Amino acid sequence: MAALVVSLRALRADPLRSPAVRWTAALGGAVVVFGVLMAIKGAAPISAYTSMWSSLSSNRSMESVLVKATPIVLAALAVAVPARAGLVNVGGEGQLLMGGIFAVGMSRAIGDAFPGHSALIALCLAGAVGGALWAALAVLLRLVVGISEAVTTLLLNYVALNAMFFLIYDPWKDAHGSGQPATPALPAGQTFPMLGSSTVHAGLVLAVAATAIVWWALRSTRWGFQLRVVGGNAEAARRAGLPVGIILLTAMLVGGALAGLGGVAQLAGTEFKLRPGFLATYGYIGFLASWLARHHPLKVAFAGVVLAAISIAGDSLQIDSALPAATVNVLMALVLLAVFGWGARRVVPT
Amino acid sequence: MRTRSIRMAALLLPLALLGLASTSATAATAPGKGSKAVGFIFVGPKDDFGYNQAAYQGSQAVKKQFPKLKVLTAENVPEDDNAARVMEGMIAKGAKIIFATSYGHLDAALKVAAAHPEVAVVQQGNFITGKVAANAGTYFGTVYEPVYLAGIAAGKATKSNKLGYVYAFPIPQTIANINAFELGAKSVNPKAETITVATSNWCDPAKQADAAKSLLGQGVDVLTQHQDCTATITKAAEKAGKMVVGYHADASKLAPKGWLTGSEWSWSSLYNDIVKRALDGKFTGSPYNGNYRVGYKTGKNPFVQSKFGPKVTAETKSLIAAALTDISTTGSPFKGPVYAQDGSTIIPAGVVPNYGTVEKKMTVFVKGVIGDLPKS
Repeated sequence: MAALVVSLRALRADPLRSPAVRWTAALGGAVVVFGVLMAIKGAAPISAYTSMWSSLSSNRSMESVLVKATPIVLAALAVAVPARAGLVNVGGEGQLLMGGIFAVGMSRAIGDAFPGHSALIALCLAGAVGGALWAALAVLLRLVVGISEAVTTLLLNYVALNAMFFLIYDPWKDAHGSGQPATPALPAGQTFPMLGSSTVHAGLVLAVAATAIVWWALRSTRWGFQLRVVGGNAEAARRAGLPVGIILLTAMLVGGALAGLGGVAQLAGTEFKLRPGFLATYGYIGFLASWLARHHPLKVAFAGVVLAAISIAGDSLQIDSALPAATVNVLMALVLLAVFGWGARRVVPT
Repeated sequence: MRTRSIRMAALLLPLALLGLASTSATAATAPGKGSKAVGFIFVGPKDDFGYNQAAYQGSQAVKKQFPKLKVLTAENVPEDDNAARVMEGMIAKGAKIIFATSYGHLDAALKVAAAHPEVAVVQQGNFITGKVAANAGTYFGTVYEPVYLAGIAAGKATKSNKLGYVYAFPIPQTIANINAFELGAKSVNPKAETITVATSNWCDPAKQADAAKSLLGQGVDVLTQHQDCTATITKAAEKAGKMVVGYHADASKLAPKGWLTGSEWSWSSLYNDIVKRALDGKFTGSPYNGNYRVGYKTGKNPFVQSKFGPKVTAETKSLIAAALTDISTTGSPFKGPVYAQDGSTIIPAGVVPNYGTVEKKMTVFVKGVIGDLPKS
C-alpha cells in the first residue's frame, strides 16, 4: 500500500507526464499490490493474472462482459446525469429495480395484446417511467422539504427492494414455479432478441444509444449547459434567472429513466423474471463507474465495461486459483483507490 | 478535450461490436464421459458452517476419490444468470460434469445443460417439472426425516414449550422441515409450538441476528433454522444460554453448552457415485437423470443426524432411536392424521404418505406452527 501511495505522489509531482502514463502507473500500482495480496493467500500472482486474462479472451466471455455491462452502464449514466447538476444519485439500485417492476407490471397488463416488438417498446417505456418516478420522489423531497437526495435515494433503494419482495412473494408469485419467490418468466415475444448469433441481447444497443445520446445532450444542448451551470454554482444560476428546481428535477428524471431502462434490459435480456437477487449491487457498481470516470458519459460507459470485465475475470480467481469469492472485490477496490488517488486534485468534471 | 472524447469512443465501439461470433453445437456424446474436470458452484461461502461447507466437503471427497480429475469450485455464485456464466467458465476449463448446488441455481443449470449436451449438469435440491433432458437431473436427501428426529430432542428439552425456526423462503422443502420439526416435538410434548421467522435470504447474518433476537424475546428456548450459514443463530442461542438444533453441518463447537443435536450433510458417497456414472458414460437413463430422492426407507439418506450435545438425556436418545426405526420401515414423520394451521386435513388418519406425496402436500404449515405463509 505504501508503495502505491509513494508512486501516486511521485506522479502528481510531475505534471509533465501524460494522463495515459499516469493512468497506467496508478493501475499498475493496484495490480502490484493485489499481486502481493494473492501471493500472501497462497496463489501464484503471475499465473493468476494470466488465467484471469485468458478467461476473458474467448468470444463467449467477451459476450458475458457486454451482457453484464449493459445494466451497469445504464445505472452509471443514471448517476452521471444528475451529477452534472450537482446531485448525488445513490439510488441506481432502487431505480433499476423499479424499472424491472414496472416492466413486469406492463407485461402483466398487456398480456399478449401487443404484437411483435411493440410489446417490448411498451416494457421499455414502463421501465423508464418507473425509474424516473422513483428518482423524482427523491428530488421532490429535496426541493420541497430540503432533505439531501444522497440520503433519500439511498434509503429508497431499500423501499424498492421490499416492494419487489412483496410482489414476488405474494401477488405476482409464479404459482407454477418451484416454490421460490419469483415472477413467471416473460412471454417469448417480450424478451430482447439476441444480436446476430451471439449470446448478447439487444439491451446492449439500448446502452450504447443511451451513452451516445447523453453524451450529445450534455455537450451540445441548452439543457446540458444549464445542468453544468446549476452544478457549478446553483446560487449563481438562480440569480441568472435559470429555473433551478426544474433543471434539478429533469436531471434526476432523466437519470432515473436511464436506470429504469437498465432494469428492463436485465429483465427482458437476461433474467426474464424478478427474483430476490435481481440486479443486486449493479446500482452501486454503476455508482462507482460514474465516479471513477468523473461523470463524463463516454468514460462512464467505458468504466462500466471495465468493472464488468473485472468482475467476470474474478470468476477465474476462484476457478483457476482457488481464491475466495470476495477476492475480486479487493481488486476492484484497489483499482478505485488508485484512480481516486491519482486524480484527487482534479475535482471539476469537464 | 474533444480528442480525448473521440479516443474514448474509439475504445468503446469495438468493445460494443465484439464477440458476435457463433458458438457451434458440439456433437452429441454421452454427457460427462471422459471428463477431465468437474465443477461445483455454491451460493454462499464454502466455510459457512452450513449448506455450502457441506457441499464443498463433498467436492473435496470427489477430489480424493478421483485424483486425476481437476475439481473446480466457485463460491458466492448468485441464483441468477451469473450462475450460468460461472458454469460456462468451468466448461471452458474442461469440466463435463457440473454440480449446481443451490435451490435457485436450477434455471441457470437447465440453460447450461441445454447449451451443452455433452455436459452432465446436476442440481441439488430443486425439482425439474416436465421432461428431463438427457444430460440433466436433480438429487437430494429427504431432509425432513432427520429434522423430525431433531424435533423430538427439542420437544423433550424445551421448558417454555416454545421453539423458534428461522427460515429463508417458503419453499416446499422448508415447509416440510418446519412441519416435521413441530410434529417431532409434538410427538413427545403435546404443548410444544414452533414460532417461525423468514429472512428472505439464505445467508444474511444481520437478518439472522434480528430474527434470533426476536424469537428469544418471545420466550423461545430452542432455536433452529433453515439457513445456509448457521453460525450467527447458533452463537446467538449459546450466548443467551438457550439451546440450539443444528442444520446442514455440525456446528456443535460454536455452542458447547446449548447444542442438542441437528441434521447435517454427508455428500461424499452420493457425489462420488454421480461422478462415476457420468465418467463411465452411463449418466443418461440413470436415477440421477431425473429427480433423484433418497431417504431412510429407500437407501442411504445423505442427510444424517448430527451428534448429541450434553443436554440430551438417555430417554430422549432412545425415543429418537425408536422413531428412526419406525420411519425407516413402516412409518413417516407425516403419518396421518396431520392437520393444517386452519384445522383442515393435510394427510388423513391412517395414511402413511410416500416421499412424492410429501413433496406435493407441503404447501401449508401444520397445526402448532406459529407464523403466516405468503398467499399465492
